[in-house]
Amino acid sequence: MVISAQWSVALFTTIIPLLMLTEFGKILIFFILGGVFVAGGLIASWLLRPHRPYPGKLSTYECGEEPIGTAWVRFNVRFYVIALVFLIFDVEIVFLFPWALVYRELGLFAFIEMAVFLLILWVGYAYVWVKGDLNWDKPAPQVPTLNFVAAKPPARPEPVEA
Amino acid sequence: MIEQILNSLSQFLPEVTLVAAFCLTLLISLILSSKGRNRGRVAVPSAALLGVAVSLFFVLDQAGTSQSIFSGMVVVDPFSVFFKTVIAGSSILIIFFSLFSSEVQNAERYRGEYFSLLLALTLGMYLMSASANLLMMILALELTSLTSYVLAGYTKDAGDSSEASLKYIIYGALSSGLMLYGVSLLYGLTGATDIYGVNKALSGGEVDEVALLIASILMIAGFGYKISAVPFHFWTPDVYEGAPVTITAFLSVASKAAGFAMLIRFFKVSFIDSSVIGLPEGMWASLQGFEWNKLLAILSVLTMTLGNLVAIWQNNLKRLLAYSSIAHAGYMLMGVVVLSDKGLAAVLIYFVVYLFMNLGAFLVVMMVANKTGSEDIDSYKGLGYRSPLVGVAMVIFFISLTGLPPTAGFIGKLYLFVALLDAQWVWLAVVGALNSVVSLYYYVRVLRNMFLRDPEKDAGPLAFSMPQVVLLLVLLLPTVILGLYFAPLVDWANASVLMFGVR
Repeated sequence: MVISAQWSVALFTTIIPLLMLTEFGKILIFFILGGVFVAGGLIASWLLRPHRPYPGKLSTYECGEEPIGTAWVRFNVRFYVIALVFLIFDVEIVFLFPWALVYRELGLFAFIEMAVFLLILWVGYAYVWVKGDLNWDKPAPQVPTLNFVAAKPPARPEPVEA
Repeated sequence: MIEQILNSLSQFLPEVTLVAAFCLTLLISLILSSKGRNRGRVAVPSAALLGVAVSLFFVLDQAGTSQSIFSGMVVVDPFSVFFKTVIAGSSILIIFFSLFSSEVQNAERYRGEYFSLLLALTLGMYLMSASANLLMMILALELTSLTSYVLAGYTKDAGDSSEASLKYIIYGALSSGLMLYGVSLLYGLTGATDIYGVNKALSGGEVDEVALLIASILMIAGFGYKISAVPFHFWTPDVYEGAPVTITAFLSVASKAAGFAMLIRFFKVSFIDSSVIGLPEGMWASLQGFEWNKLLAILSVLTMTLGNLVAIWQNNLKRLLAYSSIAHAGYMLMGVVVLSDKGLAAVLIYFVVYLFMNLGAFLVVMMVANKTGSEDIDSYKGLGYRSPLVGVAMVIFFISLTGLPPTAGFIGKLYLFVALLDAQWVWLAVVGALNSVVSLYYYVRVLRNMFLRDPEKDAGPLAFSMPQVVLLLVLLLPTVILGLYFAPLVDWANASVLMFGVR
């Protein structure tokens, strides 16, 4: 670790200035290092790990359940609305934490500032609520009954004339 | 820090008012909509109208101040006040338009969204005309774009409205992506995001000229999309045709004004060389080694020529006006090319004139479409006899759009051409004049249908309600009066070319 720390210090203090990189050059180095890091991890684990596959191991992990059908199914569009609403309140929390930390120093100003912010968010929340986007309409369950009519046998294809 | 924010807030009242009005309009519509669909016909538009009116009052209250607020993100100066006035004025007119538009009134389920998004759109345009930081510019542009995508698809049951919205999103996303890339390059070159810092770094020299050229072309992609200049104009006809007329009218005036405000501020602040001595009064110099005004001159010629030539072939009046608005963007770009305060003042004058004549033309389109259900030029046959007042109004608006005296459009063009000739841009002036001749053809084609063709057999006279006629006169009278008595407008424009931080 000590060696690598020394190396990275050396990399950023001497080697890069030697290369006379621009700001964009540093970003390029960053990208390259990121790729190397990911590829290195994958390759190293591929070299080191034992390789003994069997069908149960290769199947998709579904919390211990047997996976049914393909993963490419259509999701109910409501999930996206819920995700969007969640995102807004997630961001709200991200903003509230640092606010809570400096609240004592800033005092009333911080309170009013955050009140305005939350008020605007609540308007959005009220909008979603009133418009019924939070209601989850369950389709009425279709209970199978016994006195079903036997389905017609499929029509026979017309004989094709030669 | 807190004192600075609080001080900035007192100069930010127009925008704060709009945000408050946005929330209020939405809440009113929600409260009323939960108890039955049909309520809020009066309350919601009134709330929106009140919001814009109060914010216009605060804007006018800012006249004469020149300062930068929120750590240089936004500036308040005569230039931004001018554009905010134009934007707020057209916003108020559009709210009145919406009351008479059958398209908007038929979709009353979404009335709250419509009016509150109009306020958000106005807010975005305010910020576009006032932002002095590249990041703020992007944010304002996005706010304006996102709200106008939704509004363009407002009548979502109509297929072409959804088509308009989708096309708008795709072009808009591409353009703002390009502009964002341009901003990142410019930041990489100069290490500054506020446009004054960019200017300082660029004036110091030692900037790669090729990279600067690429960055500014990418920036122009963003601006050009907003003002629908030619290589970036493809969305304009489809969106203008598909969107509700009210939104089309708003986009054609206010959105263009905001785009021009941002373009002019960006170029005039960050891309001029203030160290050049010995220039005539009121002239500026482009950066050494990078004459961006020639780039804009090419863009201007392309824009007006293509706009006018394609407009000739249109049979849908909204589409025709879309191409005519592209052509007008070309005319107005000429005023930026000349690099003088005179040219800038001409652009400002043109915008006020354009506000009245273009909104007027769209109002006639809307009134006729409400009655006949068609926007085709063929359905205007004999309109001059079916409704003389509307017919005559359309003649005046179209003559003004062509730029013939004694209308306001002539004054707008006159100042543009004088500024061009003053700066020795004779060839550009000639191209502009030739284009005006071409535009006469397609405007007169509509007028010919209105007066020289017989109406369809079963077409009786069209009667319009009193408020609609009053609204028409509100747009018609300035179009005539500004053609005869324009000194106050010119004085106001000359006083409004002053920007914060530019000598």
